[in-house]
This record gives sequence, structure tokens and C-alpha cells, in this order.
Amino acid sequence: MKKTHIAALILIVISIGVIISMTSDFSSWETFATAQEAEGKEFHIVGELARKEDILYEPEKDPNYFAFYMTDKSGEERKVVFQGAKPQDFERSEEIVLTGKMEGEEFHASKILMKCPSKYINDELEVKAVAAEN
Amino acid sequence: MDIQYTGEHLLPGQIGRLSIIIAFVFALTACVAYFISATRDELSAASWKRVGRMAFFAHGAAILGIVASLFYIIFNHYFEYQYAWQHSSRALPTKYILSCFWEGQEGSFLLWSFWHVVLGVVLIFRSGKWEAPVLAVIAITQAFLGSMLLGIYVGDYKIGSNPFLLLRQTMDAPIFAQGNYLQFIEDGNGLNPLLQNYWMTIHPPTLFLGFAATIVPFAFVIASLWKKDYTGWVGQTLSWSIFASMVLGVGILMGGAWAYESLTFGGFWAWDPVENASLVPWLILLAGLHGLLIYKHTGRALRLTYGLFILTFLFILYSTFLTRSGILGDTSVHSFTDLGMSGQLLFFMLFFVLLSMAFLVKDWKKIPSIHEEEKLASREFWLFIGALILTLSALQITFTTSIPVWNKFLVLFRKIPGLSDFIQKDLAPPVDVAGHYNGIQVWIAIIIALLSAMVQFLRYKNSDTTKFFKALIIPAVIAVVLTVVIVIALEIYPPQYVLLLFASLFSIAANFNYLLVVLKGKLNVGGASVAHVGFGLILVGALIPNYTQRVISINNEVDFGNSFDEKNKRENILLRKGKPVLMHDYMVTYKADSVSGADNFYVVQYARINKETGDVREEFTLYPNAQINPKMGLIANPDTRHYFTKDIYTHVTSVPDKKASEEAEANFERDTVTIGDTFYLAKAYAVLESLVPNPQHENYQPDANDIAVGASIKLYTLDGKIFESTPIYLIRDRTASTIEDEVKELSVTLRVERILPEKEQIVIGYKQKDLDNDFIIMKAIVFPYINILWLGSLMMAFGMLISLVKRYRDNLRIFRS
Repeated sequence: MKKTHIAALILIVISIGVIISMTSDFSSWETFATAQEAEGKEFHIVGELARKEDILYEPEKDPNYFAFYMTDKSGEERKVVFQGAKPQDFERSEEIVLTGKMEGEEFHASKILMKCPSKYINDELEVKAVAAEN
Repeated sequence: MDIQYTGEHLLPGQIGRLSIIIAFVFALTACVAYFISATRDELSAASWKRVGRMAFFAHGAAILGIVASLFYIIFNHYFEYQYAWQHSSRALPTKYILSCFWEGQEGSFLLWSFWHVVLGVVLIFRSGKWEAPVLAVIAITQAFLGSMLLGIYVGDYKIGSNPFLLLRQTMDAPIFAQGNYLQFIEDGNGLNPLLQNYWMTIHPPTLFLGFAATIVPFAFVIASLWKKDYTGWVGQTLSWSIFASMVLGVGILMGGAWAYESLTFGGFWAWDPVENASLVPWLILLAGLHGLLIYKHTGRALRLTYGLFILTFLFILYSTFLTRSGILGDTSVHSFTDLGMSGQLLFFMLFFVLLSMAFLVKDWKKIPSIHEEEKLASREFWLFIGALILTLSALQITFTTSIPVWNKFLVLFRKIPGLSDFIQKDLAPPVDVAGHYNGIQVWIAIIIALLSAMVQFLRYKNSDTTKFFKALIIPAVIAVVLTVVIVIALEIYPPQYVLLLFASLFSIAANFNYLLVVLKGKLNVGGASVAHVGFGLILVGALIPNYTQRVISINNEVDFGNSFDEKNKRENILLRKGKPVLMHDYMVTYKADSVSGADNFYVVQYARINKETGDVREEFTLYPNAQINPKMGLIANPDTRHYFTKDIYTHVTSVPDKKASEEAEANFERDTVTIGDTFYLAKAYAVLESLVPNPQHENYQPDANDIAVGASIKLYTLDGKIFESTPIYLIRDRTASTIEDEVKELSVTLRVERILPEKEQIVIGYKQKDLDNDFIIMKAIVFPYINILWLGSLMMAFGMLISLVKRYRDNLRIFRS
């Protein structure tokens, strides 16, 4: 065998090993309940804003405390706390993707990704408000 | 009954639609003609080549026709077209009109196609005997790209998405029952505010030129395998692969510059799937370029080079699939909108996978290779290792970026009985994305940097190792010294970062040394050295700002208590209008806000103060803006103070909802009072002093027949100030009206709502603006030494340009002799 072949083989074996071991970094999509089972470990959770509950953001008291309730895919509703500013138009979000962990009864999000219906496409036609032509 | 539509401009759309079909048909024609030409003997080959050429020119003209029609429609705001309506609006400054063109998938396919045409035309004139096979490959790609714009149905399956559809054809709304519907559609949906940035007018064309350019080495590989000519393709392909590396590299870095400036990715590189999608083919292209150098000089590594150039192009197609099929969905917010073309995109990719595999496998045994072993102290051996590592780096990035794709496979596996228990949940990207990629890519960067420092000092075939090590002593010493200084000065302690810093500095020093000592400063042959110095600077410029960036908008004055764990970042700070807040070394004041078009600008003044003496050392003002976009919410655009050694960002993260507070203000409160009565306002108490006939007010022009009464009111603030106000009640032509009076100092507006003569009372209405409601929440970040990154980017591009010019001249020389 040639040196290049040996070197290639070694590198490929190492990188396969590395790539496989790196899959331990991969997260999974969870619900509040399953995230609760591994409290303190970070996961991704998809859900919807629970609109009937209050959204708490009082920048005058603390610009880095933002809390709301989210309903996950299984229908469970939990309080979510985010240490940062409230994303503008949060109320209009259609779907929320959270990264974070359960701490007690609360979910502490480190990242919030909002999906707005209008983010890139808005299929609502805006029509000039004119009374019907006579 | 047919509706007669009025006001529509149908001609440009018809020209565009026709051009799409012409472009598609002629791409196929060119492909067939060139294919026949490439397979025939001399005589008939020439005539088929002429047919191919004509067809390709016709195709090119049609592409220009599509581009022109689409541009015309957007430029003239013809909102009857869905594309113009969706991607542009009237208020958009002209400089961003181009960005509308490529905001949508169709426009960006068109841009890509356009560059293929340009490159194709250059190749027709310059590639000599390679024209037929190379253009056949380009033409078939053009047919695939063209099909993305067709927008026709075959049975129930829609092929492509046509950018010239009318709004009324794509949407079902009652308004379209009216023939004059266009009168009611005043404005388009507008361009995504994130893309309203000058980088977005130059980054996509550059990136797509880079994308397009990768087809040239690929086409030459196919042509070389097809014609079984294993040497003639090298010279041209070398130039083209340098060109592609340069343009794609610059395109990627421009994307980084945009991300850095708009801060939408939180820095210049975030390992977002969309960014990775263009980085991966670039890395493999670089590997291929180095493979080709080995082959050119030693006759080795031909199979590797073929494989890498093929892989580059396939990864371009794969990234097209990733970013356009909607598969990235939950993992990236930056991908294109799904147009339901994933099947077509998949077919596009699989076609070329099979095509290139067929060519490669069929003649694998015939591809020349050298059986004799290379020396360990040879340049080719280490170039080979470098190429391999670049490829493996690309594969690791792809592996993680492809998580959504793996999930599609997992769905299939789950159907197999017995396996379903093991694979229950879908995979999600790592929680700490940057940490995940950096964890492995930093080590790869270290190896690549070390190789790029040393390999130039080795000769092809065999080298004198003593000389080799001697040459590296000085650069190594310089690098060690610099590393120690930087590590201590900037407190960079994690071992892998210290190593990376050393490796990059070593690469910079060694390549600089090579340029000065070995090449005796002759820049025209030193392209590689310059590019490698640039690469080293990019690594340093990525490492230092990334590691040392600090959020400085942390309010230390107010103690919030330990309501959170120690990881609480508190990166946002509240600034009330006019109230200075101490932030790090700066006294920061939110001075004012102003509106310009759709943008709200916030005037934020920074004063760097000496904490002991309180002296102001330096003052500057930043104007971060926020577009309160009715469709997308707050789109913050940071403003940056640039220094030679650092950048200070200011970025508005939240503002009070002005609309809601204005609505609240619209509600007048009221009190019924008699003369001498007191009523209470938020910041003062008010006394109705008297009712005055013939009152005076700046908003009131008396008329002879008026019956007017002024309510003379005195307002007493708590700190002892007294203000006067005289709102007026007016009866003119038997109609009662009221003239409001505003006391600006107290942000209160007063009016007389009714007069009750029988009770000798009046109803006073007052509304009060909430002064406390004028604040911004902002975040400020310092990025030190980011300029090293930009300097490195420029140098790498410049180095590649030097190499390109040199290779091009070499080719000309061969061409002429």
C-alpha cells in the first residue's frame, strides 16, 4: 500500500469516528413533559403561544426578563422564561421554536425562533380602503 | 362571463413567458447539438458545433429577455404581477430594486442562469477544442435551471415556478371579480427589510457567479473523461478553478460582511445552514484546486482531482436543494420560501450524480496514475493530505447541516419493524451550534494553517529536509513571539485557540517569508503566498473578535437582585429619553428619535469618561434604526462606531409600542368642574380660574358671529412651576366645536367638552402623554480587531487574482506556441 493510501485511510477512519462522536451533540425535538424528565438538559421544543395567558415584559423593571406561556405539540402549557428583550410582534408569531431547558416548572429558553406567517410571504392582499365604486 | 381587466400591462409578461420557453428549448437544442458534435468525427462535428453555438446564443438572448422583462416589471411597479407585488414596493429606494429581483427563488435561478450564459459565451470563444463537450454540460444545466422557471403542469405535477404570473392568477380574492381591481392595489408587499442593505445588492450576484463558475471545472472533468484526453484540460481548468475559488470565496465573505453589519446572524459567521451550504462546495473546490496542482506537476492524484471537482459541483446542487426545497424549515430562518419544487430539485441533483458517476466509473481503470510511491518530503504528499483534510472538513459540516435530511431517512427506517423503537424522535441541530462546529473545525483549521505554512517550502518529488526545517525557523520564532504577546494581551487561554493563533501566525509569517526570500519579492509569481497570508489573517481575524467580543450594554447601576442564576446575561439595557446611563466606560444617552420613511432613527450619544475624574475623553453619536415593519415587526439595523482596532455596535432590541400607547392617549379623561374647582393630572394639579369671553388662541381665528368661551386654567406642578392654558369652546354657525390647548412641558392636552349653563359647570377633557413611555431597549457589543478579517479577505482574493493572471498568461503562451 502506498503512503497516500494509508494516510487517506487513517484520516477517513479518524473523521468517521469524529463525525459519529459528534452526533452526541445532536439535540432532539421534545415536549415539555419529556424535557422535564431530563431537567437541566437543553432541548428544542416547538409550540404555539398560549394567547389566553399574559405575556410578561416590563422593560422598565427589567429589560432582560421576558415570560410567556407556550403550548407544546402535545398540548401541554408551560411558562417560558427568556433572559432578554421581547421580540417585537411576538404576539403575532404562528409557531415558536425554543432552545432551552426545564428548571422546575418553568422552561428557561436560551434561544427563541419565531415563525411569523408574514416572515417571507404574505398572502393577504392589502386593498386600498375605498368605498365600492358607484 | 369574462371580466374585462383594465390597467394591466400584459406585454412585458408575455415577452417574459415567451422568452422562458425559448430559453428552455434552445438550451436543449444546444445540448443535443453540442453532444452530437462531441461524439462525431472532425467534419460533421464542426457543423454540429455551429448549430450548438447558434442555439446557445439564442438561449443567451432569451435569458437576457427574461431578465429584462422581469426587471422592467419590478422597476415600473407593475403590481399586477405577483413577483413584483410580492418582492417590491413603491417606497423602496431605487438602489434596492435589484435586490427585489433576486429575493425570490425565480429571480435567483435567473441570476445563476445569466452567469452560466456569460461563462458559456466566454468558453465558446476561449476553450478551443473543448467547446463542444464543455458547452454540452453547461447547456444541459441551463435546461434544468430553465425548467425551474417554466411553471407548466404535466398532469398534476407543476414544473417550475413562473415569475410572470399575474396576481389574479395566483390568488383567489373577491377583488379580482372587479375589472378595475388594479386601482385598489396600491402597493406591493415590499422587500424584506433585512435585505435592504447595500451588501445585498452585491453579495448575491457575486455568490451566484461563484456558484456558476464551479460548473466550468466540472464540465472540463466530464469533457476530459468523455474525450479520454487526460492532459489537455489542465491549463484551462486551473485558471477556471482559481477564478471560481476567488469569486465564490469573495461571495461568501461578502455574505459574512452583510451578516456582521446587519447583525442578523449575531456576527459574521454563525454556522447557519444557509452559510454552510456555500462554504462546503468552496472547501471542496479548494481541495480540487490543490489536487490539480499535484497532477500538473507530478502526474499524480488525477482521480482525486476529478472526484473533487465533480463533488464541488454536486455540492453546489445539494446546497441548492437544501436552501430552496424548504427542508431546512425549522433549522434556518434564512432559507428561501418553499415553492413546492423539491422533487424537481432532487431530480436535478440526482441526474448529475448519476451522470458524473457513470463517467467516472466507466473509465476509472483508464485514468492514468503513477504506481511508484511519492516521497514523504515531497510537496505533493502534503498537498494531498491538505486536500483530503479540506474535504473531510466539508463533509463534517455537511453531515450536521443535513440533519433535516437525515430525519427524512429516519422516517423511512421507522417503518421497518423492530427499528421503530430505536428511532423515535427526530434529530434536532445541536443546542450550541457554534460550539459544535468550532469543536472540530478549529482543529482542522490548525492543521490546514500549519500545512499552508510549510508546504510551499517543500519541492515537488523530493526536497532537502535540513533546508526545509532551516527555512521555517525564523517564521516559527516570529509566530511564537506574536502568539505569546497576543495571548497575554487579549487573555485568550483555551489551548485550541492558542494553537490556532500560533498556526495562523506561523502561516502568515512563513508565507511572507517565502514571498520575500524564495520568490525575492516578485509579486507576479507570489499569488499563492499572498492568498495564504490572507487565509492566515482570516483565521486570526475570525478567532480574535469571536473570542474577545463583549456585550457592554450591561447596567451595573441597578441591582436587579438574584432573581436568576449566575448565567443571567442581562445583555439589554433600558434607556429613557434624556437620561444618561453608565455603561461600561461610556455614559450613554438616548437623545431623540426621528422618522425617515419607514425607518425610525434613535439618536444615541456616547461619551467615554474617565471614571475617576469624570472627564469626557471622547464623544460620538450613533443612529441605530429600527424599521417597525407592519408585516415583520421590529427590524433593527445597528449602527456601528468603527475604530482601527475595534467596532462598537449599537442595536435597538425593543421599543415601546407607540401605536398602543397612542391609542391609550386618544382617550380623554374628563372632570366636571365649576369655577375655582381643582382637578388632578399626573404631573400637576389644575384650577379652573375663570371663563373668559373673546378668548385668544393660536389655533383660533375669531369670526364676528362666533360665540366663544375660553376656560382659563392654571396648572401647578409639584416642584412649584405654574403653567397657564386656555382651551376654547366655540359655537359657529350653530355648530359647537372645541379648540384644544396643549401644555407641552407637561405633555398634557386640555379641552372644553361641554358647557352646562344651568349648573354653571363645564366638562374639561384632558389627555396626558406618558412621558415614561419614551425609551429604547438596546444592546451594545464591542468587536475587537475585526479589521484583520477584512484585510485577510482582501488579501486572499488579491492573491488568487495574481495567480489567475499568471495562469492565464501561461495558457496564452501555450495557446500561441
